[in-house]
Amino acid sequence: MTGIGTMNVNGVAIDDTFAEAFGMSGTGLVITADTMKWAMIAATTMTGFGTSVIGCGAECGIDCEVAAQDTPDGRPGVRVLIFGFSPDAILPQLKNRVGQCVLTSPGSACYNGLDSPQRLALSAGPRFFGDGWQMSKRFGGRRYWRVPVMDGEFTIEDTCGVTTDAVGGGNLLILGRDRAGLLETAEAAVAAIAKVPDVITPFPGGIVRSGSKVGSKYKGAVASTNNAYCPTLRGTAKSELDADTIAVLEIVIDGLTSQSVSDAMRVGLKAVTDIGAAKGVTRVSAGNYGGNLGQHHYHLKDYVA
Amino acid sequence: MSGLRLRLKSAPTGRLDVSCLQPAMLTAESAATVARMPFEGGALGDLFDITAAGDTGTLVLEGATATCDGIGEGMRTGALIVEGDAGAYAGRFMRGGRLDIKGSAGDYLGTGMKGGLITVGGSAGNFTGAMTPGQKFGMAGGVIRVGGDIGERAGDRMRRGTIVVKGKTGAATGSRMSGGTIWAEGGFGPGAGPLMRRGTLIGPKAEQMLATFADCGEQDMVFLRLISRFVAAELGPLAPPPLPARVRRYAGDLATIGKGELLLTG
Repeated sequence: MTGIGTMNVNGVAIDDTFAEAFGMSGTGLVITADTMKWAMIAATTMTGFGTSVIGCGAECGIDCEVAAQDTPDGRPGVRVLIFGFSPDAILPQLKNRVGQCVLTSPGSACYNGLDSPQRLALSAGPRFFGDGWQMSKRFGGRRYWRVPVMDGEFTIEDTCGVTTDAVGGGNLLILGRDRAGLLETAEAAVAAIAKVPDVITPFPGGIVRSGSKVGSKYKGAVASTNNAYCPTLRGTAKSELDADTIAVLEIVIDGLTSQSVSDAMRVGLKAVTDIGAAKGVTRVSAGNYGGNLGQHHYHLKDYVA
Repeated sequence: MSGLRLRLKSAPTGRLDVSCLQPAMLTAESAATVARMPFEGGALGDLFDITAAGDTGTLVLEGATATCDGIGEGMRTGALIVEGDAGAYAGRFMRGGRLDIKGSAGDYLGTGMKGGLITVGGSAGNFTGAMTPGQKFGMAGGVIRVGGDIGERAGDRMRRGTIVVKGKTGAATGSRMSGGTIWAEGGFGPGAGPLMRRGTLIGPKAEQMLATFADCGEQDMVFLRLISRFVAAELGPLAPPPLPARVRRYAGDLATIGKGELLLTG
């Protein structure tokens, strides 16, 4: 049913197709706290409800943990990435997410996490929480705000870098005949992708089970279920699935650069094919819109060793 | 291309304005060319023995005394090493580069500077990092490190930048300060921070603290880590030990808006 050429690696069919991704804007922050536990809590909270720009306003995720010696204040930190359609679209997300989720988190501080000449006013919202008691300090080329809060001070950098060369929507579709094994395999791919710098997988646990198509039969819905990949609709609607496919999981990848997304695609696909058919994975494909909408195409065949 | 060494043939008998000795400009020329450059009614070669030596972009001024004024004034790039003392106005209006004074410096060191690094092996005079008469504001960026003590009114009308002193400061440090940081390892002299609006004074003790500074109690602030790491990165082995996790904070000067602070580490 694939309808397109395939390769076979370790018992897994790889479609000769490509992931179609879009240009986006992205920024990075380093969130620190007294312990890695609390840095991670702040980071997890501020990147919550950040799966898709369509419904969440931004796509957010945790890039990596940052060792204490590598953070501006010498405390354990977590780097988060935030993606949006444009820098202007990211700014209100920064204001709300940092203001509601980082400022409020005990012992936290928030710093720029992306070197870029183009800047966003990171502190523009949160510092005014100080109600006039906020103080600015500049050390070298970096300006910080100290906002008095109930556990001392919330420290936040004045600006953060933003890039318009980011890419959103790199993806892998993993098809299989065993839902549990498929999920385990997808988890392994997400874990491998997590080691690639400058990328996130913004969906829950990095995995999407409800891939979408553009449009809907209903007015007002901009996206709807990707019926061609829904196994329960096989036989009643045009399907892209083989007869033995009972589930499809998707991994969506956002990156600060096209190269980082490409690297993530490569390690993700390798993780899947390293496990091979042992856990019920039968096939890997990728989502695209015919190649006319997204500027970035990631061909699966390029990642097959 | 190498650097240049200028050795004063004899100690000046009066004040000598050497603000024109700019590393970036002079080290781009040969020693012979520099020796022919006009200076004080004669040529540079009349007062200095000039030889090519040292790293590219580095100017060494040997034999300078406390009557040599304006050393490194307005410097933007390069390095100027003073083997001896510096007079008044050393590093005034500096925007970049590095000025190392092996001996002591006179009054108005680094006044109005906006960038770069000044280190002084000995002590510095009054009005370090302050404003010079006729100017509206004092130091607005960069770092000054003094190995000994500094005189009175350091940081007068200072806006930004960092001054680190290994010894203690004279009276009225941070007067009329509106920003920036002064960190005195040896503590502050009498009456620190008069009419201070904003900015930070850090030290183990302060003599005769002004009544217009309010005790805010002991504080644990992330900002202390930032300044410790910044100073360590800027000064390397010259940097003081990191600040303790807790300091006692005094807010002032409440005779003005009171958004400045005196942080006692002792």
